[in-house]
Amino acid sequence: MGVTYRGWRKYLAVLAFLAPTLISLIILSLFPIVYNVYISMTNRNTFHYPVYDMPQEDRAAFIEEHPVTGPFLWNVVCPIFSGFCCDPDQPGRFCVEEPFYANYAELLQDFFAPEALRALGRLLLIIAPLIGAYVSSNQVKERFRPSPPPTWWYWPVGASLVIGLWFLLNGGGAYQTLNNAGSFFIVMFRTVLYVIACIPLFFLLGFALALVLNSEFLVGRALWRVLIIIPWAVPSYISALIWQFFFRTEQGTINQLLRLIGLEGPRWLLNPTLAFISVVIVNVWMSYPFFMVTIIGALQSIPQALYEAAEVDGASPWQQLLNVTLPLLRPAVMPAVVLSSITTFQMFNTVWLITEGGPERGAGKPGATEFVMIHAYKEVFQKQNDGLIGAFAVVVFIILFAATLYSLRLTRITKGAYE
Amino acid sequence: MREPSPQLKILSYAILIVAAVFALYPIWFTFLASIRPGGRLFTLDLAGMFVPKVVTWENFQQILFVKPFPIWVRNSLFIAGLTTIACVSLATSGAFAFSRFQFVGRESGLILLLALQAFPGVLALVPIALILQRLGLYGTRWGLILAYTTGTLVFTTWNLKGYFDTIPIDLEEAAMIDGAGPIQSFVRIALPLARPALATTALFGFMSGWTEYVMAQVLLAGQAQKYTAPIGLAQMASDLSTPWGQYAAGALLVSVPVVILFLWLQRYLEAGLTMGGVKG
Repeated sequence: MGVTYRGWRKYLAVLAFLAPTLISLIILSLFPIVYNVYISMTNRNTFHYPVYDMPQEDRAAFIEEHPVTGPFLWNVVCPIFSGFCCDPDQPGRFCVEEPFYANYAELLQDFFAPEALRALGRLLLIIAPLIGAYVSSNQVKERFRPSPPPTWWYWPVGASLVIGLWFLLNGGGAYQTLNNAGSFFIVMFRTVLYVIACIPLFFLLGFALALVLNSEFLVGRALWRVLIIIPWAVPSYISALIWQFFFRTEQGTINQLLRLIGLEGPRWLLNPTLAFISVVIVNVWMSYPFFMVTIIGALQSIPQALYEAAEVDGASPWQQLLNVTLPLLRPAVMPAVVLSSITTFQMFNTVWLITEGGPERGAGKPGATEFVMIHAYKEVFQKQNDGLIGAFAVVVFIILFAATLYSLRLTRITKGAYE
Repeated sequence: MREPSPQLKILSYAILIVAAVFALYPIWFTFLASIRPGGRLFTLDLAGMFVPKVVTWENFQQILFVKPFPIWVRNSLFIAGLTTIACVSLATSGAFAFSRFQFVGRESGLILLLALQAFPGVLALVPIALILQRLGLYGTRWGLILAYTTGTLVFTTWNLKGYFDTIPIDLEEAAMIDGAGPIQSFVRIALPLARPALATTALFGFMSGWTEYVMAQVLLAGQAQKYTAPIGLAQMASDLSTPWGQYAAGALLVSVPVVILFLWLQRYLEAGLTMGGVKG
C-alpha cells in the first residue's frame, strides 16, 4: 500500500511535490539538451555565428512567407532558435542545415571508416578471451549451484590468451591505426579507456581501506577514517593544480624525489602514456573516499550472523570475503559504479587543469588526454565548431543513456518503498 | 569477530599508513607552501619538502587583508548556503513523491532523471547562459544558485529516495490510522529518521556551490564584485607571476570549512549514502 490519496487527488499531490524539481530540471537540464539537438542540426561555426537581435526588415518578408505561424515564430521561437528563421544565402548567419542531419553524417563517416572498424574488430578479438572467462565463469556458477567447481583459473588462462593474441594479431598496430583514425572515434575510445582504468582502482582502493577501517581491532579507528577521507573534501580545482605541480618535469615533487635515489624522472605530462597515467592517479586520489564511505556503510549493514554461519561451515576468511561480503556489497556498489562511471566519462575540470588535453600529437589531432568533455570544450570555445560538436554531444548522450539504462537493469534500484 | 592474526594486523596498518601519506601529502605540501616566504610553490631543499623551515604568516596576512579574498568568500558563502537550502527542500519533496506514491510514470521519471545526468555538461553552458539571459538571471547570483541546485538535484533526489525507501512505511501508516495526513505523518515520522540522508544532501548541495568554478566563470564573467572563491583563486593561479604562497594560503582557507563539514558529518555520510542500496 502506498500513501492513502487516491485518484486525481493523488496526482495533484504528486505534481505539487515534483513541480519545483520538474521546473528547474526543464529549464536547466532539458532545455540545454533540446537546444543542443537544435544546434547539432545547424551549420553554426566561426563563419556562421548567431545574431540575437533579428533584423526588423526581415520580419515582413518572414511573416509573408509563414502567414499563420509567422508572428509566433518570429516573436517566440526565433529569439532562441534563430536558425529556423534565417535566410541560408545571407553570409555570416547560421541556419538549419540542408539536410538537417548533415553534421551527423559527417561524424558517422568518420566513425565508420573501414580501417578504423577493422582495427577495432581486431582489438575486440584480442580481449575476447577475458569476456569469455567472465561469461563462462558466471554460467558455471549459475549451473552448479550451490557448490560450483572452482573457476578462478579461467582468468589467468584468459589473460595469457589475450597476451598471445595481442602479438598474433598485432594489437599495437591496431591501436596505432585507431590513433590515426578520426578524432571522434579516438576521443570516445580514450575516454572509455579512462573509465575502464579508473573505476576498478576506485573500487579496489576503496574496498581495501573500507575492510581495514571496518575492523573492530583497529587502534584509533576514528582518527584513521578522518585522515583518509580528507581528499574528498578538497575542492577539485585546488587538488588538480597541486597535482599538476607534482608532475612537473624539473621542479615537480615526484621527480625531485626520484632524483634523490639517483633516477632521472620522466617528463610526466609530455609523454602520452604517462600523462594518461597521471590523470588516472589524480582521479583515484580524489574519488576513492567516495567508494570507501559507500562500502563502509554497506559493510555495516551485512548481518554478523552470516559470517558466523560461514565460519561454522568451515569457510576461510578469504572464502567469506569472496562468497559473503562481495555479493552482498553489490547492490550498494553498483549505483556508485554507475554514477562514478558517468562522472569519470564526463571529467573536465581536473583533467583540463592538469594537461589541457595534451600532450599534443600533431596539428588538428586530439591530445593524449583529450577526453570527451575536453574535446567538446576545445572545439566549441576555442575553435567555435558548434554544429559538429553538437552532433557529437548528442551521440555521446545517446550512448551514455543506453549504458545507464542497461546498468539500471542490473541494479534494480528504481523500485519503490511499497514493492 | 575473531581477533585477526598479527600478520594481518601489520598488513592493515601498513595499508593505512601508505594510504594516509598518499591522502595527506598534497595537503601538507600546500600548507608548507603557504607558510614559506618567497611565494614559490617548490623548494629545492629536500628537508623543506617535508617540514617547515622558516615560518611566515605573511601569505595568510596578504590574502586575508590585502586581496579581495574575504569578498570572494562572502559571495561563495551566500551562494553555497542558498544552494544548500534549495537543494534540501527540492530533493526532499521530489524524493518523497518518488518513494511514497505509486503513480504512472514513476519509474520512467526516475530513469529520465538519471538520463539527464548523461548529457555532457560543458555543452550545456551556452544554452544555460542563453536561457538565464531570457529569464533576466544572467550574471546574477540567483542564476548561479539555480544552476547549482539543478546540477545536484539528480544525485540528491536519487540518494534521498533510496534512503526513504529503507524507512518502513508501516510507521507512517500507523500514524495515518491515528488520524494524521500522509504529509504530516511523513514530516513527523520519516523525516527525522532520514537525518543522515538529509545531512548528506545538504553536504552535496554546499559542496557544489562552494567548489564549482567552470560555470561560475561563464555566468559571472567580468563582474569582479560577484566573484566566488573558486573563480578568484583560479584567476590568481592563471596570472603570469602567480603568488603561489598566497594561492596556497587561500586554497587552505577554502578547503578547511569543507573538511570540517566532512568530518562533522562523516558518521551521517556512511549511513546516508544509500545509493538505492541494501539497508533496512
